[in-house]
Amino acid sequence: MASPSPSSSSSSMVTERRGIPGAQFVEDVQTYLTQLGLDVNSALAFLQERLQQYKLVEMKLLAQQRDLQAKIPDIEKCLDVVATLQAKKGTGEALTTDFEVSEGIYSRACIEDSDSVCLWLGANVMLEYSCEEATALLQKNLDNAKASLEVLVADLQFLRDQVTITQVTIARVYNWDVHQRRIQQAAATTKDS
Amino acid sequence: MHQGGGSETEVTWEDQQNINKFGRLNNRFHELEEEIKIAKESNESLEDASNELILTDEEVVRFQVGEVFAHVPKEEVESRIEEMKEVTSKNLEKLEEEKESIVAQMAELKKILYGKFKDSINLEEE
Repeated sequence: MASPSPSSSSSSMVTERRGIPGAQFVEDVQTYLTQLGLDVNSALAFLQERLQQYKLVEMKLLAQQRDLQAKIPDIEKCLDVVATLQAKKGTGEALTTDFEVSEGIYSRACIEDSDSVCLWLGANVMLEYSCEEATALLQKNLDNAKASLEVLVADLQFLRDQVTITQVTIARVYNWDVHQRRIQQAAATTKDS
Repeated sequence: MHQGGGSETEVTWEDQQNINKFGRLNNRFHELEEEIKIAKESNESLEDASNELILTDEEVVRFQVGEVFAHVPKEEVESRIEEMKEVTSKNLEKLEEEKESIVAQMAELKKILYGKFKDSINLEEE
């Protein structure tokens, strides 16, 4: 998934992570420009483009993160309901609940003792499970969602690091250029005087 | 984030890593502020709910479980709300602790980075 880069100009750096290219850390601006074979403006343009690409990927990852963050409380709510039904099972009482029929309109339901629940699996499919199976399935989904979220957060952190490295490189290349111009101007003035 | 006057302070890999770490901490800091806000609101709602519960004289309360409102006896609702309040308070405490640790780490990094780069770097909120 991630491997240390064998390239010469950076030490112990990751070349890419799950499709996101790593930003090359620049030890020395002069060497970097010679290595790329680009003049300052082309190098700056290249870096800016890289930055844009990173931003696009960041937006995609953020959207995925939002989806997962919405999914997790949903699964937890389902687990809650199944647990409540299971708790009632032993007592033999019926569970009375009020549920929403339509916006603002509620109706009363009397849920008898039951061994099974139906779970909505998506794509217009609903399956009947025993309470234990349902709990196991929901728990597994919850664990998967949480694990995916963790990986996503790590991806975002990696991405943001690459963005920061690229921004710093842009600033350094620009500053180096300003510095070079000053030196040249100073040399030109001394020559003339 | 960085303005230079064309100065030639070298940026080492260690500096870059410090800058990256600062960025990451800053992001986490903002996320934590959001989370703390939500946790505080949740705490307040639970407080309000338990106050309402004391005032009500009904024996059966409609308690939200998932998307439906189950009819639950008052005592059970009281204990459930107490439980939820405990969980939320603990969570809030943990978040506040993490926030303090992050603020301390960020202050450390600011010292190091400003020390090396002085005016060439800006680490303040826009």
